[in-house]
Amino acid sequence: MKEKVLIVPCSGIGKSYGTVAREGAYAVTEDLCPGKTRLVPLALLVLGEDEARAAMSGARAITIDGCKLACAAKVVAESGGSVAHGLQVLEVFRRHRELKPSGIAELDENGHKLARVLAEEVKRLVDTLTQEASHA
Amino acid sequence: MPELPRKKVGIIACSGEEIPEGTVTRLAALKVLESLRPRETVTICLPLFLAGGKGDRAFARFYPTIALDGCDKRCAARGTEMYSGKPAVSIVVGSTVPANSAGLGSARRLSEAGLQVVSNLADEVAQRVDQLLDLKWDRRSGGTLASSEPQEEAKPHPATCSCGSGIPVGTLQVAGRKVTLVALPQIFSQFCEAGKIPGDLTRAEVLEAVRIYNPVPEEEEAAYAEALVEEYGAFCRGSS
Repeated sequence: MKEKVLIVPCSGIGKSYGTVAREGAYAVTEDLCPGKTRLVPLALLVLGEDEARAAMSGARAITIDGCKLACAAKVVAESGGSVAHGLQVLEVFRRHRELKPSGIAELDENGHKLARVLAEEVKRLVDTLTQEASHA
Repeated sequence: MPELPRKKVGIIACSGEEIPEGTVTRLAALKVLESLRPRETVTICLPLFLAGGKGDRAFARFYPTIALDGCDKRCAARGTEMYSGKPAVSIVVGSTVPANSAGLGSARRLSEAGLQVVSNLADEVAQRVDQLLDLKWDRRSGGTLASSEPQEEAKPHPATCSCGSGIPVGTLQVAGRKVTLVALPQIFSQFCEAGKIPGDLTRAEVLEAVRIYNPVPEEEEAAYAEALVEEYGAFCRGSS
């Protein structure tokens, strides 16, 4: 697969789930699959810059949203990107209710654990996308 | 002008995930929102201007805003202006607060030096908040000198964001079509609380209040006024 999978977290700043999305994206792009993924800042897409839109064109993205408004998924779609998977931190949390996160500027231990669980889910999706691309 | 929610300053950080300066903006905004000026500030996620509704996009029309950017692309300032309104203040990390990018740490984990830049930037933003609200801040009491309101004890406070709430909007039938008006529920609520009776006397007043936050075509003023008075009457009957 030539193109990296784009990882686009929301920029949620008012809730812990936004920070979990951000931390999970770092865990994927820096720790779990740095060679297969690329982090894309959502703010650049909001401006609709040609360069940012060009990066989205033809690439597959995994969006990670901290709330139901799904800004990351919506903005990627608006930017002409293809959302291969749109994840919601809340859905991950519902499967791991013991990991109730708190803190925004600094996540607590549960928040970091939830981010790790989220990152591992994203890694599995990245692996699947990569395999599909190599068989295509 | 109706007194919509107590005047606050909106803080909008770019939160750029790729560079440490983006993390500096995010953490500085949170420090202002949670610790330095929790009662005077509110925030909104930048992408919500694009992904949200009309109420979210009205954010900068309600709040004087301070945009914090991590680089010269100024996504927060330009995005706010593009979708909502021109920020009252625009700060790029490094422009007013000295910052050496190499020493800030990573975007994921700032260094001690990076955290110091966060602290300096947050102080700068707090000062700008005070200027915008024309407040004088008493550091010893943790309260505002100019305010006659009793001050709450200064303590960490969860950051408040506008996700999912935005600015309230209401809909109205004007000349057979539906129009969405920003702040309509609050305007009606304040008029109602002030005992203003729906009718000819309030017609011009309610139109003027609506016009502050919404464009009203000149040729449709009469139709808007008529519809507003009718809707305000229904609002009052529902409230009683």
